[in-house]
Amino acid sequence: MNPPVGLAAFLLVVVATAAVGFYGLRISRTTGDFYVASRTVPPWWNASAIGGEYLSAASFLGVAGLILLSGTDALWFPVGYTAGYLMLLLFVAAPLRRSGAYTIPDFTEARLESTAVRRVTSLVVVAVGWLYIVPQLHGAGLTIRISTGLPSWVGAVAVVLVVYLSVAAGGMRSITFVQAFQYWLKLTALAVPVVFVLLHQGGGAALPAPEAVNPTGVPAAGPYQTVSLLVALLFGTLGLPHVLVRFYTNPDGHSARRTTLIVLGLLSVFYLFPTAAGLLGRMYAPGLARDGRSDALVLLLPGELVGGPAGDVLSALVVAGAFAAFLSTTSGLVVSLAGVISQDLLGGSVRGFRIGALLAAVVPLAFALVTDSLGLAGSVGLVFAFTASTICPVLLLGIWWRGLSDAGAIAGMLTGAVLCGGAMVAGTLFGGVSAPGWLAQPAAWTVPSAFTVMVLVSLATKQRIPGTVARVMTRLHVPERPLAGGR
Amino acid sequence: MTRVRVTAPQSAGRRPAGLPPGASPGRDAALDSDAGRLYVRSLIRSQLRLAIVVAVGFLLVLAACGLMVALVPDLAVLRLLGIPLNWLLLGAGLYPVIGLAAWLYNRSAARNEARYRELVDER
Repeated sequence: MNPPVGLAAFLLVVVATAAVGFYGLRISRTTGDFYVASRTVPPWWNASAIGGEYLSAASFLGVAGLILLSGTDALWFPVGYTAGYLMLLLFVAAPLRRSGAYTIPDFTEARLESTAVRRVTSLVVVAVGWLYIVPQLHGAGLTIRISTGLPSWVGAVAVVLVVYLSVAAGGMRSITFVQAFQYWLKLTALAVPVVFVLLHQGGGAALPAPEAVNPTGVPAAGPYQTVSLLVALLFGTLGLPHVLVRFYTNPDGHSARRTTLIVLGLLSVFYLFPTAAGLLGRMYAPGLARDGRSDALVLLLPGELVGGPAGDVLSALVVAGAFAAFLSTTSGLVVSLAGVISQDLLGGSVRGFRIGALLAAVVPLAFALVTDSLGLAGSVGLVFAFTASTICPVLLLGIWWRGLSDAGAIAGMLTGAVLCGGAMVAGTLFGGVSAPGWLAQPAAWTVPSAFTVMVLVSLATKQRIPGTVARVMTRLHVPERPLAGGR
Repeated sequence: MTRVRVTAPQSAGRRPAGLPPGASPGRDAALDSDAGRLYVRSLIRSQLRLAIVVAVGFLLVLAACGLMVALVPDLAVLRLLGIPLNWLLLGAGLYPVIGLAAWLYNRSAARNEARYRELVDER
């Protein structure tokens, strides 16, 4: 790729993001603006912002790369990422909005009347956020290396710097502007090159069969792996902290549902393009998979298949979209982590929020600089498994089951965290690829274990069920405004 | 676009009864009578039943697609517009199903809530 073109694309996205962030500084003045913007963002705008925040390095680069590597097995990733929002819609969207809480720890504390539950939830949320930021920074490193030839750390440091500055300046409100813009940027940046390459390649001789090409000889995933992956993706989405905080910017439960429906549409349209890019890569550029550049497939595809000035322009567009992905997901995570850290440790002031944002961004940066990427879609998939084993059970049971007790919630979350965290560490020690299936994809056994422990301990500690449970459950499920003429 | 000022969440943990501020008044009134409590319970139960039915239905479709791709190797050979059918099914065909399930759920959930409001208003 042409280094000056890549650098220009990167700088353009950085400047645009910073500009919108600083613009947000002028209009966000209250502490509430910092945490959740105002609660009156229109559904389309909000849905674009949710889509923008959700589509991370894993979606923009990782999905196509994984499809290049393992073919149809990898198609379950985009399906799972999207279907996770269906589960979120079915089980948490409206009740969580109606709870009136700002963050997941706020919710669990209010529901279970316990600051101990709050502390454990906060720890888990911070762990999830940190784990999720690391692959974004790996993606940034990869992209800057491929597109400009600069060392990887430049990309990671640049993303953290831009995110920190814009978050500390504008908080959540400016982020909403940025995220909504970045969904459409990401869609354009992937759709235009993919369609161009399709037109360029299409109409020729018969297409080579994607199945006949197996660039690296990756063995097909067994049924256990696929099921476990889907468990992680379906039930991990509804516990992601940066996704949940977005639902508080809906005016009421009904609009939270409508927003989610729009999000599903936006994600479905988006995922057609990484899928198509992966298919194109498998048919026409299988060589990219061999030297470990599979995650860079969408970056390299225009240059490989189109070439010339047109290839340069398309490459620049993809680089811009990729940085939009790293910046938007990272800033969403940093905002929600900063909210949690500052409320629990620093008293919830605007200054505390800025210190929280610094902690939220710098710790994963250090981690990203000393580790190597093991495939973006895979490492994000593991974070989903961790969320599904910890936050998902406490949210689902908290919203739908009166019998949940604080002791049960804590025991369940710790069980999920220890089992899933242990599997992740053990899997890494095995060297990633050679880890046995049940360690590489732990969700199928860690999620049921967490649920079981949470239910059993709650049943054994019935006397600890808070007296306010009836009122809180009413608050969660009863629609907000009775229709005109009611009462 | 109207803007609403919201208060800082720093009061968390020191609120009475663990309920966050900013809830619309009157929603707790549903708990004043036995009938009110019954209506709330039946609303929650019908919403949960609806969510589970839609989730299970969707998972069955998902499982059917997975089994079809695994058990019918011909899907990889047959092509539509040059794209093998198994790629088309998993890569594009499932998204409309997800959207349809979500749309049906939204309609039914809103209907459950409307029914609840009617019951409450009749009292």
